[in-house]
Amino acid sequence: MPYSTIATPEAKPVANYKMATRMEGGRLLYISGQVAWDAGGNLVGKGDVRAQARQTFQNLRGVLQAAGGDLGDLMKITTYITKIEDFPAVAEVRREVFPGELPASTLIVVRSLFHPDFLIEVEGVAAV
Amino acid sequence: MDRREILAERPVERGRGFMPGVSVNPSRLLFTAGLTGRGPDGSLVAGGMAPQARRTFVKQLVYVTDIDAYNASGRAERAKFFGSTRTASTGLVVRRLADPAMLIEVELVIDLAGSAQGKPLLEKYNVEQHGGDFYQGVIVNGGRLLYLAGQVANNPDGSVAGTGDWRRQAEKVYQNIGYVLGAAGATPASVVKETTWVLSIDSWRQHGAPVRRALYKGDYPASTLVEIPGLARGEFLVEIEVIAAVA
Repeated sequence: MPYSTIATPEAKPVANYKMATRMEGGRLLYISGQVAWDAGGNLVGKGDVRAQARQTFQNLRGVLQAAGGDLGDLMKITTYITKIEDFPAVAEVRREVFPGELPASTLIVVRSLFHPDFLIEVEGVAAV
Repeated sequence: MDRREILAERPVERGRGFMPGVSVNPSRLLFTAGLTGRGPDGSLVAGGMAPQARRTFVKQLVYVTDIDAYNASGRAERAKFFGSTRTASTGLVVRRLADPAMLIEVELVIDLAGSAQGKPLLEKYNVEQHGGDFYQGVIVNGGRLLYLAGQVANNPDGSVAGTGDWRRQAEKVYQNIGYVLGAAGATPASVVKETTWVLSIDSWRQHGAPVRRALYKGDYPASTLVEIPGLARGEFLVEIEVIAAVA
């Protein structure tokens, strides 16, 4: 893996994610904010944040794979949601997607995404 | 320069103004602060940028405060600016930008031509006298990029430091940032780009900004300040994420 994980007992994450990652080689990949579009551009899971989260992470993985990588190469993800009440369901899907430790992670509640039906958007940075 | 556009070969990706992913060999990268329409002539990027230069854009993050206004006129301006260049892209509707009158803010990651050899690790610069506590651009010459998780005011035992207390939370967040930077061999001067997400820009300016100034001592990163309606826990007033670089 072309990155290393930074940890310190003085500052601990509030959930199961890495506190920081440092790139040690490879190519730097910036992934666009992914939303719950299927391959044809149709929204998957209107009003269903769990279904949207699953599709979103599947799309994120698709971009990683197209760049020759996979989820394990992610250094950092940012999860944007529109309602804090959706966070438990999103966290559950994220645990399925990342059975071990998440990459370095940020969670932000925004006013909305670029379409009112989008409930979640996830962007990532990877070393591939 | 070695920029690759990443497509996952899905019909949805065609004909859109952005790429699902863009990868680069990170020899020389420019991280911009959030750029706003505040320039003397109202343009998005002071000094303008040749279309050829735009081909090296890697990532953009667009913050708008009014999606309808953006769709009505902002989107076309953005398309005009980027032309045929496709970057990795994220768009967010937020509650407020640094000035309540600002409707749009854009931050960029750009792959610069040329070798990093013989240059200092970080080159920080401004293109205009903005008077703010940030640099408009920071160039990273080689080195290793360090991505921190968004830092919040949590203690090592999981409790929140300073519930309802902006100053205490700012102190704790920057203390945590300092610890993590230190563990990676970096210092506050190593910070390239900072995004500060707050529940209230007015409260942050009053109570958080002095703590921030004391930390950076004038050696600021490129920076974006955004007001949003919520963070992972109801007690959190501020979350700061940082990209740094070490040799």
